[in-house]
Formats: sequence, C-alpha cells, structure tokens
Amino acid sequence: MAMKYLHKYPKKFRGTGGIRPMLQALKTMVKTTVHRPVTIMYPYEKEWIPDNYRGRPGLRFDRCIGCGICERACPTKCITIVEVEDDDGKIVRRPQVYVGRCMMCGYCAEYCPVDAMTTTPDYELAEFTRKDLIYDPRRLAFEGTTEMMEVHLEEHLQSNLDKGIEKPTAFFDTDRPVLDDNLCIGCSRCAKVCPTSAIEMVVVGQNAKGRDIKRPKLDSTKCVCCERCVIECPKDALEIEEVL
Amino acid sequence: MSELSRTGYQTDKMWVTMGPQHPFSHGLWTLRVKVDGEYILDAEPEVGYLHRGWEKECENRTYAKIIPMADRLCYSASMTWSHLYCKVAEEALDVELPERAQYLRVIADEICRIQSHLMWLAALGTDLGSLTIFLWCLREREFFLDLNVRLCGQRLTTNYPRIGGVRNDMPYYFERDCMRVVTRFEKALWDIINLTDESTVFVNRLKGISYLTRKQVANLGITGPAMRGCGVDYDIRRDDPYAAYDKLDFEVPVLKEGDAYARYMVRIEEMFQSCELIRQAFNALQKIPKTSPYRLKVSRNIPEGTHMARIEDPRGDAMMYLVSDGTGSPYRLKVRSPVFVNVSASKAMLEGCRVADIPAVMAMIDMCLGETDR
Amino acid sequence: MGYDSILNWVTFDNPVNNAFYPFEVYNVPYDIGAKLWELIGGTLAWLINLLVPGNGVSTWLVSDAVVNALAIILMVIVIFAVGFIINLTMIWQERKVLGRGMDRRGTKIGPLGYFQCVGDGLKTFMKENVVPKDVDKKIYWWALALVIGTGVLAACMIPLSDRWFIMDFHAGILTIYALFALAPFFILGASWAQNNKYSMMAGFRAAELMISYEIPMLLLMTAVILQTGSFNINGIVNAQSEMWFMIPQFLGFITFFICAVAESERAPFDLAEAESELVEGWQTEYAGMKWGLIMLGDYFRGYICCGLIVLLYMGGWLLPGIGGTAVPELVFLAKIFVVFFFFILARLAIPRVRIDQILNAGWKVLMPLSLINLLLVVLMQTGGLI
Repeated sequence: MAMKYLHKYPKKFRGTGGIRPMLQALKTMVKTTVHRPVTIMYPYEKEWIPDNYRGRPGLRFDRCIGCGICERACPTKCITIVEVEDDDGKIVRRPQVYVGRCMMCGYCAEYCPVDAMTTTPDYELAEFTRKDLIYDPRRLAFEGTTEMMEVHLEEHLQSNLDKGIEKPTAFFDTDRPVLDDNLCIGCSRCAKVCPTSAIEMVVVGQNAKGRDIKRPKLDSTKCVCCERCVIECPKDALEIEEVL
Repeated sequence: MSELSRTGYQTDKMWVTMGPQHPFSHGLWTLRVKVDGEYILDAEPEVGYLHRGWEKECENRTYAKIIPMADRLCYSASMTWSHLYCKVAEEALDVELPERAQYLRVIADEICRIQSHLMWLAALGTDLGSLTIFLWCLREREFFLDLNVRLCGQRLTTNYPRIGGVRNDMPYYFERDCMRVVTRFEKALWDIINLTDESTVFVNRLKGISYLTRKQVANLGITGPAMRGCGVDYDIRRDDPYAAYDKLDFEVPVLKEGDAYARYMVRIEEMFQSCELIRQAFNALQKIPKTSPYRLKVSRNIPEGTHMARIEDPRGDAMMYLVSDGTGSPYRLKVRSPVFVNVSASKAMLEGCRVADIPAVMAMIDMCLGETDR
Repeated sequence: MGYDSILNWVTFDNPVNNAFYPFEVYNVPYDIGAKLWELIGGTLAWLINLLVPGNGVSTWLVSDAVVNALAIILMVIVIFAVGFIINLTMIWQERKVLGRGMDRRGTKIGPLGYFQCVGDGLKTFMKENVVPKDVDKKIYWWALALVIGTGVLAACMIPLSDRWFIMDFHAGILTIYALFALAPFFILGASWAQNNKYSMMAGFRAAELMISYEIPMLLLMTAVILQTGSFNINGIVNAQSEMWFMIPQFLGFITFFICAVAESERAPFDLAEAESELVEGWQTEYAGMKWGLIMLGDYFRGYICCGLIVLLYMGGWLLPGIGGTAVPELVFLAKIFVVFFFFILARLAIPRVRIDQILNAGWKVLMPLSLINLLLVVLMQTGGLI
C-alpha cells in the first residue's frame, strides 16, 4: 500500500503560487451557481434522516408492561415510572421522560424487553418552560413508529458460541432471579410487584405455628429480568443470576 | 528573537493573554505568551476551565452507563473514546471480541478519525484566515456525520461500541453509502489540497516554524501526528494492534522534518489511509456471514483488579486506567488525554515563532477541551 | 416676471449657462443638484411670493449665485449617495460571491439578498455605544473619524466618467492617492489610543504594511504618468482610448493589483485585523456603529483601489475600439465590479500572509518589479514603441 498524498507532494514542494487555488475556488463558484449549494435552509427544508435516528424516546403505550428497566438503564435518570390510567381506566405504571435531561443515548429502547420504548427521529424539542419538557407516557407516543426505530438487543452468549450455537439472545431471556431460601420470609412482595406476574407464591410447608410457608416460584418464560423483585425484597433474598 | 539580539536592538517585553475567549483557542483555555515585538519568548498554557469531574462522575455509574459519557469526552472523536472505554472494560473482563464487531469498530473508528481530522483542517483554515477551507472541510465532514447517523443513529455522540461488541449491526445500506462517501471524499480532499498545498501562501505559513526534535518529543510526551511529524515511527494501531487492525494493511505516515507543515502532512495522509482502511474492512466483512455475532453478553460486574488500555486517538495516544473493586461500577477510572500532554509542549513549540504563528502552531495540537479538562 | 405660476420659478436652465458655473465641462451631479434646487428653491420662492407678493427673497432664492451654491452642496450629497450605493453593492457582491465559492448561499434578505447589508447596517445602529474606560478619548474619536473621513473623501474624488466628477484638475490622481495614503497615521493613532495590546500590535502591523506598499504603488503610478504625460485623470483615461495600459504594462498591472489588495487591507493581506490571533486587530475596542463605519470605510478603500486600477490600467470609462458610450458611468462601474471580483477571488482562495513574509514580498519583490516596470516604460517611451 502506497501513500498517495506524501508521494505527490515531496518535501521541497512549495506550492504553485496562488493561481491553482483561485481556479479551484472559481470552479466551485461556477458549480454552486449553476446547481445549488449544499446548504440546507433549515427551518424551511430539512435533511432526510433515517428511522434509526436517536431523537427523543418514544413509547408504545399498549406494549409497555411497566417493568422499569428503562428507568434503571437511564444514565441521566431522566425516566421516572409514574402511574397513569390506561385505556380501560385501570391504573398502570408507565415511564415518564424529562427530555430536558435526556442525553439521547437510546439505552431505554435498547434494554426494553418488549420493544415498547423506541427511539424516534423527533429532534425539535424546544419548549418555553422546563415543565413542558416533561413528557408524560401519553405524550411520548410517536406517530408512525416503524420497526427501524426499535433497538433490538442481540447478544450472544460465550458459552453458546463455544458450543457452536449462534443464536442471539438478550439478558431478559437468560438472566433469572434466584432465591436464597434461608433469607426469604415469604412476604410475597416480589409476587405483588412483578409486572409480568411471573412470580407465584406457593406453599412449601408449614412453620412451627402452623402457618403456611410461602416461597416465590418463578415462571421462567414470563420473566423479563426486570429486577423489581430483587430491589423490592426486604431481606435481599433474591439475586439475579447471570448466564454468560 | 535571535535576529533582534544580534542587532542589539531591544523592545519592551510584554505578556499577552490569549483566552479563555479568543478566536484562536478552540474551546475555553488560555495561552499566555511573552512577546518581544512580534516574536514569542515564552508561552504558558492554562487549561482547566472545562473541568466537569468526569472521572469522579464515573465512579457513581454502572459500567454500561459510562459509555455514553465517554462519548462526551471529545466532541469530534467520540467513537474512539467510547471504544477505548469498552476496550479497557473488555480487558478487565477478559472477553474476546467477535470478529464482526472488530471490523465494525475499525470502520466506526476510521470514520471518526476522518471527521476529526476534517474538523482540524477546518479549524486550521480559519486560523490561517481562509474561510473557504473551513467550509469545504465541514461540508465533507457532514457526509461522515451522516454515516454516523446511518450506523448508530446520532451524528456526534455516537454511543456505538458496547462492552463485548457494538450496539447494532450495520444496516443493509450502510456499506453502499459508506463506499460512496469515501470515494467522493477522496476526490473532494484533492480539491481541498488544491487550496492548501498548492497555495504558496499556505505552505509558507506552515513550513519552517515550530521545529521539534525527537528528544523534545520524548521528553514532553508528545504523541499522535505531532510526534509522527517529528520522525518517531510509532502508531498504536500498528505497534500494539487492537480490534482488527492487525489484519488490515495500512501505512503509518512518518516525516522527519518536525515542523508544523510535517504535522499537517501526516494528518492529511492519515485521512487517505483511513479511507483505505474502511475499504479493506468492508472487504473483510463480506467474508464474515451476516448472522455471525457482533455482541457478546458480558457480566455487569468487573472482577477486582487494575487494567489499562491504549488506543490511537486522532489526536494521539489515549489511555484509560481502570481500578475495579468487583462491583458494578469502577473504583477509579483515569483518563490520559493526548491533548492535555501535547498542550504542555506549547512553550517548546512556540518559542521563536511570531505572534501570527500562534494559531497555526496551536492548531497542530488539534485542541479539544472536553478530554483535556475532563 | 409675472408671479402667477410655480412654473415661473422652475426653469431647468442648462447649468452651464449659470454665470457662476465652476467647471469647464458639463457635470451631471452638478446638473442634478441645480435641478433639485430649482425644484425646491422654486417652490419655496413661489410660496413666499404668495404670502408676501413682490418681495426680494423669492428672486434671490433662484438667482444664479444661490442656485450655484446650493447645487454644489446637493451635488456633493448626490456623489456621496452614489458612492454609498456602489459600496453597498460591493459588499453584497462580496458576500454573494464568497458564499457561492464556499458552497453556501450568501445573503438571503431582499431580491438576490441585496438588502441584507442594509439590514446589517441598521443592526449596527441599534448596538450599544461601548467605549472602554481607559481609552485616550480625543484620539480614539478623532482617529476613527479621520480614517473613515479620508477614505470617503478619496472615494468621492474618483470620477465615474468625464461628466461625473467632483473636481477636474491637473493633479487629480495625486490628490486621490495622497488622501488614500493618509490612513496609516490615523490607524496607528487609533490603535494606540485604545489601550489594548491586540490593537496596538495590529496598528503597528497596519502602519508597516501600508507604508511598505505605498512606495511600489506610487512608482507604478509614475510609470503610467510617464506614459501619459499627465497627472489629470481625464488625460490618463483618454490616453487609453486606443489600448489599455494593461497591455504594455502587464507587469505593472499585476504588481499594482497585489499592492492594491494589500493597501486596502483586504484578505489575504488583512493581517492588521487578523482575527485569529489579534481578535479584531486595530478595531478591537470600536464597538457598535463605530465598527460598522470602519467596515464601510474599508469598503470605500477597496472601491478606491479598484477605481485606481480601472483608471490607470483598464481605460476608465472608455471601451477599446468603441471609445465613449452613452452611459460611461455604467461602463466604469462594470469594470470596477469585475476588478473587485478578482479581489474577492483572492480572498476566497488564499489564506492570510504573515507579516514578515508580506514585508519581504513588498520590499524585495514588488519594489524591484515596479522599478523594472518603470524602466521598461522609459525604454519603450524613448524607443518610441508607445
């Protein structure tokens, strides 16, 4: 491989006066006078941007399960989970985004287990007050969300690759909470907070006083590894087990 | 300086403070120069106006959340900085990157290098008083930023590398767009060179000023194109290869002159080499099946230990040093910014130059305050 | 005279018939001024005559002496206004050509963006008049006024044609040049008075630059004057009715062009305001409309340089082969805009030159070149070639 530029311009070369640059500039001038300059007259015309552009986050309200992964994945803590009414009047938990603090990293869309959070190509976000920058779950909806706006988390497990299996997966398919039986007090808080109702309390026996001993039982197909049970557990009995 | 003292003619020395708001300082920093008429006797850089506590801030974040922060270290070399951070985390986790991710990172890095160098050339143009160079370079840079949008959705804060891979595979049209942009850019760069190297005024402004010797380079710790312009044949991409650089064939431009013009030439040639690297990386990517992995799942916690990684930033030798304590966030993350070290050499670079040379010489450092002050 | 109608007072005489007519040939701006005054003064005289019939003031207002005096004042205003409009057009031309050359659009307001410069001028009027505390007030203001004033005065003295001039006397070209060359002293004064290190360095640069480029320029002018045998601008232009001096003195033309760019402090020789190292050069502490006026003065100086090139080398308002046209003013202006286009092209393509390089070029290259040009002209003159 040769060096194109250094070979053309040897060390002693001192330029050809000012004529060549002037001709070059003249050429561009003629070109931009005949055609149009590259300038885009911004408020009147806009550049085409692809669908995967990372503008403000968007939310598909019906798909969201309110698991709160986005809230924890957000580097700037601009997402809070709030309780709103859904279409049937039921109270559900949905993310609310303070766009004024959002750094448009797209982590919320990337880590969303159900692809309810998306990135949107909406970048004109100026408002008159800071309060207007808080996007509630309904306002986060974006008209015309396409598949390109979803960000899929396609990770490969090293253990799978070693075995020769090339199947993309994600942490919400593999990582599961495990219970430390000695610490669990059977309060069933994990079952209450689980957004996918993957945890069911089952009676495993009876204690000395004759009351039921309950232990959480995980439905692995429903679990999305949102860690809410882990966080809510008063005795830190649950822990996420990572599969690598 | 020497010419004046030879005649025994003396003028009053004075300190001129340039900055923190000054047209030549690209960002907030101050250069205090002691001048004797038009000659510079002494120079003293003052940085730190943009200190944001970046390193401390990292200690409160999980490892994944630092990647978008690493983008913000430098506005024009965001890809290499987040790549560097991912690299140090991967070394700590002892993960081997999938091959596809390696090539994707090389492509992203080289796009970043070209657009960073274009930003530098644009700044050099304004510093030397030619706005045409500035606007032509920014026009070309725009195409590379568009490539960033196509690849990862943002123009500057790319947030593309991940620990163990990259964020997403390239879209199906990316290779076509990339090849078009690179082909177009190589033509356009010759046009820009017609404005610079062909212009005697431009060449005379840069030639023969601010000589640095190899010894000075070693003592001051200068890295990057400034070092290669002084005859030191060293490039981390070739000498300590990371990602897929060892599988690609490229030349490291080295010039012996050591003046500002040599630093300029090294950077221009690096842009051509980057184009070539992008081409080769795409050729190699075609041999890797499209469904092959590009991202590995890694643990959230990094085991206890200290780790160091280096990368060839467009501005020089960037390094990160990670002390992990086994939890989900680093105990300490130290950044070695190439510009912070290079700018400390401004006295050696400026002594004996004229006041009019200050922008030209300082442009050769390619100042970026985000990473300097952190 | 009967006082029945206003038409009695508005006569529109041929101005040359005026007993006090100051010029030897017909002058358009004077004619415009005289006609304007005949309209205004005639109306005034008629009104006063309606109120107080048979008074002496009415007759005095339209007497030859008063018409002449007021016509001269109005003529000066007309000449300045036209110069001002030419200047605005040149700014517009520069911004538009620069824009297209840099692959952007240039000015946008008004037809083809013409009114953008007017808008920018109005904007500078709105700016606060900031004067730093420690400036030397007297010099600060006077030097500014004189820099702009001499520029405007010299620009107004450029004749647009043999019938559009402010004065037609034998040392015309020398007067213009003398006024033009006064600026460095005032720039030096202004830069010193600002109490700012940047402006002081820039002031020294400006003085060095202008003084070292005036001498080759004057030498080149001498060659032209030698060839013509006249200091009179009309004489110089008429001598070029057959062939532009550009052809026998091509070397001189190129040298004069470079000197003119340097003398008008335009890029690539704008190191007196080198904004990348010296902020705004010697204008650093002049804020608001003061800066706007300096900008205007700069373009007036550019206009003078273009005008000198056209007058000395490109045949002024005459076209080769055709000679005079119906509108010689427009021919002259068209030539000025063509020359200015090349000024802009130089700015577009070439970065700023360093001060030592530019002085070296001035004394070691352009000075000998101008002397060689002078020698060539003398040889050709004695050999009877031209």
